Amino acid sequence: MSDNKQIVADIDHSLYDFKDIENEKDFYRMEEGLTEETVLKVSEEKNDPDWMRDFRLECLKLYNEIKMPNWGPSIEGLDMDKISSYVRHKSDMKGKWEDVPEDIKNTFEKLGIPQAERESLAGVGAQYDSELVYHNVKDEVAAQGVIYTDLESALRSEYADMIKSHFMKLVPPTDHKFAALHGAVWSGGSFVYVPKNVKVEIPLQSYFRLNAAGAGQFEHTLIIVDEGADLHFIEGCSAPKYNVANLHAGCVELYVGKNARLRYSTIENWSKNMYNLNTKRALVEENGIMEWVSGSFGSHTSYLYPMTILKGDNSKMEFTGITFAGKGQNLDTGAKVVHQGERTSSVINTKSISKDGGIGTYRSSVTIQSTAKKAKASISCDSLMLDSISRADTIPGMDIRTSDADVGHEAKIGRISDEAIFYLMSRGISEEDAKAMIVSGFANPVSKELPLEYAVEMNNLIKLEMSGNG
Amino acid sequence: MSKDLNMKVNVLPVTTYNFLHVNDGRLEIKDIELKNKAISSKKEVPSGVTLKENISFEEAGEAFRANKDRILSLKEEMVSPNCETAKRDEAQSIRTGMGADVDALLLENGGTCDVYTVDENAKVSEPIVLRQDLEDGFTGIAGQVIHAKKGSEVTVILAYNSERSASGFWGVSTRLLAEEDATINLVKVQLLGDGYVHFDDIGGACLKGGKINLTVLELGGKEVFNGAYVNLSEKESSFYSNLGYLSRDDHSLDMNYVADQRGKKTDASMQFKGVLMGTAKKTLRGTLDFKTGSSGSVGDEQEDALLLSEDVINRTMPVILCQEEDVEGRHGATIGQLGEDLLFYMQTRGIDEEEAKRIMIKARLESVARLIPDEEIKQLVIYYVQQIV
Repeated sequence: MSDNKQIVADIDHSLYDFKDIENEKDFYRMEEGLTEETVLKVSEEKNDPDWMRDFRLECLKLYNEIKMPNWGPSIEGLDMDKISSYVRHKSDMKGKWEDVPEDIKNTFEKLGIPQAERESLAGVGAQYDSELVYHNVKDEVAAQGVIYTDLESALRSEYADMIKSHFMKLVPPTDHKFAALHGAVWSGGSFVYVPKNVKVEIPLQSYFRLNAAGAGQFEHTLIIVDEGADLHFIEGCSAPKYNVANLHAGCVELYVGKNARLRYSTIENWSKNMYNLNTKRALVEENGIMEWVSGSFGSHTSYLYPMTILKGDNSKMEFTGITFAGKGQNLDTGAKVVHQGERTSSVINTKSISKDGGIGTYRSSVTIQSTAKKAKASISCDSLMLDSISRADTIPGMDIRTSDADVGHEAKIGRISDEAIFYLMSRGISEEDAKAMIVSGFANPVSKELPLEYAVEMNNLIKLEMSGNG
Repeated sequence: MSKDLNMKVNVLPVTTYNFLHVNDGRLEIKDIELKNKAISSKKEVPSGVTLKENISFEEAGEAFRANKDRILSLKEEMVSPNCETAKRDEAQSIRTGMGADVDALLLENGGTCDVYTVDENAKVSEPIVLRQDLEDGFTGIAGQVIHAKKGSEVTVILAYNSERSASGFWGVSTRLLAEEDATINLVKVQLLGDGYVHFDDIGGACLKGGKINLTVLELGGKEVFNGAYVNLSEKESSFYSNLGYLSRDDHSLDMNYVADQRGKKTDASMQFKGVLMGTAKKTLRGTLDFKTGSSGSVGDEQEDALLLSEDVINRTMPVILCQEEDVEGRHGATIGQLGEDLLFYMQTRGIDEEEAKRIMIKARLESVARLIPDEEIKQLVIYYVQQIV
């Protein structure tokens, strides 16, 4: 048994890998490279207020000053001189699917977004390349006072001051090189405001599609969940595969008010030419709850570590993540948490699967500051190796600055046990099915946190992989 | 001639977030003159062991260079983990926990080594005890190589002691080679004064069935660095380490332990038990590195850190690197103060909180001290801990 190597096929991206031709007549594409001129052009395209234009230029300066990270996967294949930071369809954003240009509508129809909106979502935003092409929120949710709109419109609305006081305050452009890049050329993304004590019963979703080759997507998501409010936000991402590098350097800033709760779920399935250098951060006030559910399946290279700052006393964070690293992929993922308030608690649960030469790295940091008396942190990271040409690395860090904390950490690395396969086979289950069942079981703590439609899709993806050449 | 030391040591095998300040440690001292000091035994070396004294650091590394192909053999080409730091230590005769800067320090300062070679199949039952009582103001370095030939077994105990109020600098490099089915038991006990800067650097390799068992107690010193890198190069070799530490006042302790598992069915276990008090600062890096070809190997790393003051800084970096399907790697950590249940239990037995803390410090450190196969050194440790608590 031990010599029977698990053979698992590469992830089938064909579902996402259709290319819609972007012609010059319908699409505006900014020249490649990053200069003051291109940044000013983006700003002009967006009709930015003055403060935002100045902010972009300041970010560009920082981008040129800040060094590349000296840790994590190689990003040598990423040449900013070959990336166009802004590509958009020449039509405006629509509020009805019927009005969305045919070519773009086809893309989202193939991805099943309108269907999902009809069946299970309270609102949808759809971004195609650099701009939102569709944004809609159900009437009953809007009637509760929930704002779900594109960030640019919000910048020119009554919420302008709220955005100004929150935009890139949680992820300052000085944070790292790609945060500065984001600040310089950000475009698209959503603004969500859930007023005090409003519970949004069904999720909101944003879907990001990067269709253009050699382009970057830099959407900014800003969510403010006010005191006592409750929201589930879902984010999905995909792109067709090109043989030139694409870049995603989005930024997500989440503010969770006192007694509020926010669940942020992501299924990321970018194509394998994508450099996914995304930054996500949440600030949680007293008694607030932040829940992350994160599935990373796509991308050539990922740096993704959603961070939570537990500022308020009794605030909580839970991170559940799965990463599936296949051939040609180097996925460096994990989570970061900073405990500041008293009696704060965090739970990190991650699963990582490596196969067919893929590199899966779990990287995390748990910081317990001296003010975080009686804080509790629990970290559990499991890695499953499906062959010996892949890598599964676990690099967690802990920095604890008070004795009055309780920190537990567990990491495991291993393979599918022969005994488990033997047991299932002795019950009449084929070896392939047995392995698929075991991997699905391994991923179960993540899939059970996802909405049903997404859990089914994730499990199907795993099953497809496992039965591929098994 | 005095000089400044500015050493980058205990480099994490893979670089991570800079804000955690765990990627390496810095040993910096201004204007220091180092003496080379051999640590000698009061007794003759036991039969079956040959001692060559004052061998140059370079020459003492010959046994490792001669076996380099075996020590570093890999079944297949490796895919490197992200931002691997191995390259900087490539020039070492055997990679050590603290790394190349310690070798350079010994080479530049004419550091010599005492080379203990254990004859084939010699089972040396009597431990070799190397005890060094250091004076206030002493600044020196020392090196040893312990080379256990096929089927042999040896136990070496190194103990450093000084007055509690003493200051100084004491750096030790110990390199180990356990050939086929040989066993090296190495014990290091550090009870230096509150002003001492100390480093203890260990590098080892085990060939087929070779074993390195390491027991370390880092209890004294103001600024302490400790590192061990052990290559489990061939089939069924093993590395078991037990480290106990106590860091208090404004002291700091910086550690880097790596089990480099290359052979099939290798076994690594690294256990860390310690206590932090006052404004002490501790960094522990522990890495299990399952390289390609290490099928059937297991690795376990456990940390139990007791934090007894509000102002301590405890950094822990437990890393598992893996490019082999058929392995089991595990890491666990429990970090915090005494549990409320335990305190309550103690109180029901008439033991107050302070006394409970004393009992738990002693219990942790004495559980490691019990592994010392020399009664005199063991009692020295127990007495030292009693004085502190």
